[in-house]
Amino acid sequence: MRTAFRLCVLLVLPALAALPAVAQQGKRFGALDAPITVEVFSDMQCPACATYHLETLRPLMKDYVATGKVFLIFRLTVNHRHSYRAARYMNAAALAGLFEKASEVLFEKQKLWSETGDVEAALAAGLTEVEMARIREQLDAQEIEQAIEADRALARTFQVRSTPTTFIRHRGETTPVVGVVSYAILRRYLDRLLEGSP
Amino acid sequence: MRVRAQLVARCVLGLVFVYAAWTKLAQPWERFALSVDSYRLLPEWGVIVVARALPWLELLLGLLLVAGWLLHYVAPLVTALLAGFWVAMLWAYLRGLGIDCGCFGIGQAVGPATLLRDALLVVLAGFVTLGAFRARRASSASAA
Repeated sequence: MRTAFRLCVLLVLPALAALPAVAQQGKRFGALDAPITVEVFSDMQCPACATYHLETLRPLMKDYVATGKVFLIFRLTVNHRHSYRAARYMNAAALAGLFEKASEVLFEKQKLWSETGDVEAALAAGLTEVEMARIREQLDAQEIEQAIEADRALARTFQVRSTPTTFIRHRGETTPVVGVVSYAILRRYLDRLLEGSP
Repeated sequence: MRVRAQLVARCVLGLVFVYAAWTKLAQPWERFALSVDSYRLLPEWGVIVVARALPWLELLLGLLLVAGWLLHYVAPLVTALLAGFWVAMLWAYLRGLGIDCGCFGIGQAVGPATLLRDALLVVLAGFVTLGAFRARRASSASAA
């Protein structure tokens, strides 16, 4: 019995710890076959985007993305003075598998780096040395520029005129939501959509 | 001539209200709640009350306008409602929220065009209100 318990501790717990809370691939989170897809166009330097990310998307990630109900995609636009630099770091973070953590840090410290433009210092204040090294490694990757251009092109295609803009897709129907909406109201809409999902 | 203009004005306004109500009632109220919430003016319960009740109120007011019933009550209420919408839209525009107005479903950004359109509707509603009170005064004078 004791051996079985030890085996369980030795084998299962590390495996559980290694599992990410939310499946992440670059700037995409959650299960591909989730009934709802939420695509968010944000600008790292836009204050409304910071509010939206921290107050609405953070709980959404926990309650809907981690539970397989929503597949969440982030797109970064570059409309402010230091947005491009921030987008480079964020796309590098995405390649390093650190987008979620890095976005939280940059949005929380947005006021600080928006004035100085020192995105790296802001990130370094919230990430470990190892994490920063992983991001720096990716900064010169070819994919960074391609990802920024791809997001720009998509923003033009979807006629994103301001940030944050969210597209909620369910059963072939798209609901655009422009601006910040509270989590309490967003979740009511998602629950309504999920009512009819298998 | 003035009576005919009043009739046209209240019918146009009434149909606009019915159309606005229909665009909202044709979708789940939670979808309209997203538009209301994006103005960042109301608490959660306020957003829910507005999202659930406003489309029905618009429908009722629209039908009453077209029918011409209780006009001296309905017309000032419609004017006040439209003026309220205009102030909310102006507030959102000046704050640079870039949101959808939510007036006729989804996809109309708050901007100079929507502000001008709503301002014209306020003027139209004011004209109908004025006519309603004139008609009421005239009928009470003839009754006396």
